[in-house]
Amino acid sequence: MHLRGFLTILCGLILSLLGSTGGHSFAAQDFNRDVAPLLVRHCLECHNSSDLKGELDLSQKAGVVKGGKHGAVLVAGKPSESLLLEKVSADDMPPDQPLGQAEKKVLHDWIAAGAKWGISDKLDPFQFTTFKRGGYDWWSLQPVIRPAQPAVSQSSWVVNPIDAFILAGLEVKQLKPSAPADSRALIRRLYFDLTGLPPTVEQVAAFEANPTDAAYRRVVDDLLSSPHYGERWGRHWLDLARFGESDGFERNNVRNNLWPYRDWVIRALNDDMAYDKFVRMQIAGDVLRPGDPAGQKAVGFLVAGLHNTVVGGSEFMKKTARQDELEEIIGTVGQTFVGLTVNCARCHNHKFDPIWQREYYRMTSAIAGVFHGERNVSDPELARQREALRTQIASLNEELAGIENRGRKAALAKRKQGGPSEKPEPPKPLARWEFDTGLEDSLGLLHGMAKGDARLEGGALVVDGSDAWVETTSLKSPLRAKTLEAWVQLGNLNQKGGGVIGVQSNDGKFFDSIVFAERESRRWMPGSNGLVRTKSFDSPEENEAHQQPVHIAIVYHEDGTITGYRNGVPHGKPYKTGRHDFPANSSQVIFGMRHRGGGNNFLNGKIHRAQLYDRALGPDAIAASAGVESTFVSEPALAAVLGAEEQARRRALKDQLTGLTARERELGNGSQMKVYTVAARGNPGTVRLLKRGNAMDEGEAVRPGAVAALRMLKNDFGIKQDASDNDRRRELAHWLTHPDNPLFSRVIVNRLWHHHFGTGIVETPNDFGFNGGHPSHPKLLDWLASEFAANGLRLKAMHRLMVTSNTYRQSAVPREEGLAVDAGNRLLWRKSPVRLDAESLRDAVLAVSGRLNPKMGGPGFRDVSITPNNGTTYYEPIYPQGDEFNRRTVYRFSPRGGRSAILDTFDCPDPSTTAPRRAVTTTPLQALALLNNNFILNKAEAMAKRVESAESNLDVQVKQVFLDAFQREPDAGELRLAKHLAREYGLVTLCRSLFNSNEFVILN
Amino acid sequence: MHDMGTLNRREFFNWGIRGIGATAFANLLAHDTSARAAALGQAAFPNFAPRTKRAIHISLVGGLSHIDSYDYKPGLDKAHGKPLGSSEKPDIFFGQVGLLRRSDFQFKPRGQSGLWLSDMFPHIAEMADEMTVIRSMTTDSANHTPALFFANSGFEFNGFPSVGSWVSYGLGCETESLPAFVVLSDRRGGPNGGASNWTSGFLPSQHQGVELRSGKTPVRDLFPAIEQPHGSDAAARDFLQKLNASHADRTGADAILSARMRSYELAARMQLSVPEVSDINGEPEHIRGMYGLSEGRTEDAGRRCLLARRLLERGVRFVQIYSGGPIGGSPRASWDAHENVKDNHSTEASRIDKPIAGLLRDLKQRGMLDDTLVLFTTEFGRTPFAQSKANQVGPGRDHNKYGFSCWLAGGGVKAGFSLGQTDEIGWKTVDNPVHWHDFHATVLHLMGVDHKKLTFYHNGIKRRLTNVHGHIARGIFA
Repeated sequence: MHLRGFLTILCGLILSLLGSTGGHSFAAQDFNRDVAPLLVRHCLECHNSSDLKGELDLSQKAGVVKGGKHGAVLVAGKPSESLLLEKVSADDMPPDQPLGQAEKKVLHDWIAAGAKWGISDKLDPFQFTTFKRGGYDWWSLQPVIRPAQPAVSQSSWVVNPIDAFILAGLEVKQLKPSAPADSRALIRRLYFDLTGLPPTVEQVAAFEANPTDAAYRRVVDDLLSSPHYGERWGRHWLDLARFGESDGFERNNVRNNLWPYRDWVIRALNDDMAYDKFVRMQIAGDVLRPGDPAGQKAVGFLVAGLHNTVVGGSEFMKKTARQDELEEIIGTVGQTFVGLTVNCARCHNHKFDPIWQREYYRMTSAIAGVFHGERNVSDPELARQREALRTQIASLNEELAGIENRGRKAALAKRKQGGPSEKPEPPKPLARWEFDTGLEDSLGLLHGMAKGDARLEGGALVVDGSDAWVETTSLKSPLRAKTLEAWVQLGNLNQKGGGVIGVQSNDGKFFDSIVFAERESRRWMPGSNGLVRTKSFDSPEENEAHQQPVHIAIVYHEDGTITGYRNGVPHGKPYKTGRHDFPANSSQVIFGMRHRGGGNNFLNGKIHRAQLYDRALGPDAIAASAGVESTFVSEPALAAVLGAEEQARRRALKDQLTGLTARERELGNGSQMKVYTVAARGNPGTVRLLKRGNAMDEGEAVRPGAVAALRMLKNDFGIKQDASDNDRRRELAHWLTHPDNPLFSRVIVNRLWHHHFGTGIVETPNDFGFNGGHPSHPKLLDWLASEFAANGLRLKAMHRLMVTSNTYRQSAVPREEGLAVDAGNRLLWRKSPVRLDAESLRDAVLAVSGRLNPKMGGPGFRDVSITPNNGTTYYEPIYPQGDEFNRRTVYRFSPRGGRSAILDTFDCPDPSTTAPRRAVTTTPLQALALLNNNFILNKAEAMAKRVESAESNLDVQVKQVFLDAFQREPDAGELRLAKHLAREYGLVTLCRSLFNSNEFVILN
Repeated sequence: MHDMGTLNRREFFNWGIRGIGATAFANLLAHDTSARAAALGQAAFPNFAPRTKRAIHISLVGGLSHIDSYDYKPGLDKAHGKPLGSSEKPDIFFGQVGLLRRSDFQFKPRGQSGLWLSDMFPHIAEMADEMTVIRSMTTDSANHTPALFFANSGFEFNGFPSVGSWVSYGLGCETESLPAFVVLSDRRGGPNGGASNWTSGFLPSQHQGVELRSGKTPVRDLFPAIEQPHGSDAAARDFLQKLNASHADRTGADAILSARMRSYELAARMQLSVPEVSDINGEPEHIRGMYGLSEGRTEDAGRRCLLARRLLERGVRFVQIYSGGPIGGSPRASWDAHENVKDNHSTEASRIDKPIAGLLRDLKQRGMLDDTLVLFTTEFGRTPFAQSKANQVGPGRDHNKYGFSCWLAGGGVKAGFSLGQTDEIGWKTVDNPVHWHDFHATVLHLMGVDHKKLTFYHNGIKRRLTNVHGHIARGIFA
């Protein structure tokens, strides 16, 4: 509308609003000092050489001379004839924010004096910050200058300079800081903050007995040297690194070998590695430390994000996918290390920060050699890990075998005592496979041959769902009607399409097979070639076969009727279809695979025993056969003789063995380990700017480099366009960590502050640009940044400084006058209360229930089932038992979209993008998770049992669980209520309640 | 760790908006839009009178062939067997450009409006007079997962909030005892990308789609995963209430403390309302029949369509129903008809045709169609040429991002109307193109939300569902 206004106002209508013009003379430096900033700040947003609103370009002399679509905009020496001044004077321009009188006068005088330009004929639109965007003068881009400690009136409160800066801010608002927190609150705060774990009762008691400054400082030092420190702060770092152990996108394949990066982070933090080195290692560790496995692990940072493995067939799709990948990486690098959203300049110049599109491509060039991949790395650590794992597996196996053998013996003895069986004689099969000592047919000649990874273990054929099966010799006589039968235990219930036992033509083209969940999830069905004889039994879902073997039989009648049986009784409804006859000599029996040649064919599970009949058995015969036990002890029989303790232990051992053997397999053999890391592919070649970000529309070639807005640094790395990947990343690492880079130190000290105090001095830790938050205490931020440099860039020194400040040690109790002035507590008149983050909550539950397994490092524990399904992968929560799964949450295998009810509802982000700060929500889904989730209830039980086994007196028991959970005793009222609850509903109910309480979940 | 001191007094109970921020008066404010706006600290939502209060989004996974269903192309019949006649290398998935192939389905005008629809969906076709078909959809990717992410979130990547999450964030829920955004997956499995399709991304976690499953625990952890002593649930809650009260006495009454206490009350309500809404046994036989519940082929979709209606009736804002599981595999369990469109689409259509038509009829007879928007979308269309060798007319079709069809019904859109068109053979959109950003802007507009005002700051940008794009397709408004 302003342009239209422009049109309607006649040029001849000249208002000479401004004062006399005579006598002024403008020198070049005045233009630079007075006029240029004005033009840049107020005009160039719309009238620049790429935007040209009204066809007018005010960013260069030529444009000003040329004028816009309404002709000349100024007449040198004649302000009153200049359209520019007319529009400005009438407040038509700039449209949103009219100029003040003084600014109008500057323009007037400049024109009056001849409208001369400065040293350069061009203005840089990023020169100055405007009301719409940041310029080179944006605060965060300026050098860090160490401010003096401000003077305060209540100087006795100041224990270190942090307090002086905070107190100065409070005093401006006439607020007083809060009283010190009570000793218990303070020490719990400190433990959770530095280690992510609660203190023990004893640790709290010790501090409460001697709550001196010196004692507090000793605890700080202890915690900073605890290995749990690295786990806690490593977790914060992994949020930034968008550390995810699957690829994302369509396939979302498991990423087995990224965990070494996680371990490297934890270790580097525990070692208090200087922060510049920490960063350089993550950008170019493999380049800077060739031959050192740590370098390969550290650059896992670059490739910890998404990876699209299905990019499509067209050139455009392939190139775009690669550009997306590079944007993902450089975006994360920019935001993580320097708080710049450089990724916003992929298609055009950054809309809010002084970053040119060209510079985005310069930075992209710096990482153009980075590809996702795996490398073999020699690491002595590996052999140690493997040895430890093997020892552990062996001892767990021994314990498990002990329990099971005792159980089997007892069950068999019991069976003997029961006297001769009254069960009817079982039918005689054509072939029988016991899988005790081999794959032989114990009745005939249909002996099996193991294929792939098929193996015998504990009296069963074990197949693992990929490339493991058994085939027999060819049938000696044709099969018309038949019965297939097996005792089988599934590895999991989410698998689809695996065959247990089947008969197939030797080429696999024709088959009948007992299949699990091919068409309907979790259901048994008769598989057949092209599903031609397959229909649904309409049977109930299978929900036990992963925990115990089940007996499954499918009967194929002469007339084409197919009947299913489970555990000796009919299963679902029979149906009638066609019959396929399998000829002699060209047909065979197959186990663990639906048939040869199909997709998603393999079974994951154990086949304990299997039989084939050359006739259709009736229900009685099936029942009799299912009842045959010989020396096979069924799961229920075993359960009947094992005590509850032994059963629980057995399940825990089995779960753990599953996890550990999987890990052992991942670690492989030999001295090499696979590490998910940067896989270079030779020289990355010359990078070109892509017009509008279109992968097919190449523009000028660019040299590796970075952002010129940080003017104290060289933005051109001084290497060739086609320099090696090594050179590019080495230079990028140096640019990021250069001692003069003001963002490098500001950003990290702000992150530390964010985690210690709940909100950063800049509340957007990944964005120090125009759209980010303004610092609440800019001087404090710079003081911290400069102190950090003075301390040799050691993070632990900064932690120590922050947590020993009086600011940190304040009480969290809300005060009316504080809430009235600063409800958001940006000024820090108290310590804000903190809701435990998801990981701390889970770890705290483990710790207070006495179940925390402090084992560090190695592949993560997997509390999800992993189900590949036709080219995509599903991850579903499961609740395996045992120490392995009681490790700290940072060691959890964390696939993308890999849900965990507790972690999800408590705002743990899916690792799809870098997550510098987490949301904190309160929802009923959270309450439900904490009340009802398997993990929580299981640990409540463990906690109750532990206390009950140590103490029989209810009073003492109740006191103990309070001490464990809160590190304090209950008061009289609480004791009375808690005793009542425990007496009526068991101590477990009390433990469950405590996990749900505000005192457990919220820290003061 | 996290700062709880900033919980704002103005925030209120509706956990669908921002989680629970509790004040003593919060309950009274739950349906007050100005309070909601204050809670969001931004423009009031809805920004203007909404045309629709709630939505059901039916998402066809794999790519529905528009030229065989909703986009009648006599020109393609004529061109059958001819080459595409273009030297371009189209951005399709497998890159094989066979000869043009006419539709395998019969089209005819339907209803009063005379919309031309094929016999692929005979039941839905009977409802032609309720729908607006958009025949000029376009998208950026011809690759399944990025395209599905795009249709759901306006971005091709993991980690961006889906439409339902944005709607939940902007408008919240009309009930406290059910989530605002519910997802109902195909029994054969989740779509490619799984739960990332209904993620809340960087929005607070309560805006994530909640998957409602069949079985005893339709929502995860609704009831104890391990059996607890009889009566202990209520006793534990009661104890918790008292314990929390005495804790608040000691530490001062922070908003987060009472918010948490309130969350347990709402959890208890959910334990009643979720099983109630999930139990469709009480539905009368004629209703069950409408949705095709008694037939094996339509049972799965029928149950979910009926559940969707029940959820919306009780105040849920956005329900998403998937048709199709994962992409790969044989036989296909989705709409990805590379091998044979007739076989695949006939089978897939027969699973959902009757249930969706039943849903439309049921909504209509209850008067709900006036303020309920039904969306029927797919990630992209399919090519008019066969996916086969250059001199053959094979039976399958590849992905087509240049032109495809979606339809909308109810909730303020024209009835018996079509917008836009593709070229004569259905290859590319030539008139009134509607990109996903436009589609999303239009849907938000129908719900009373200005897509430019629904923003959330994340790592440098005030993010929108529509990125920096989005034109409202006003032509379809009733």
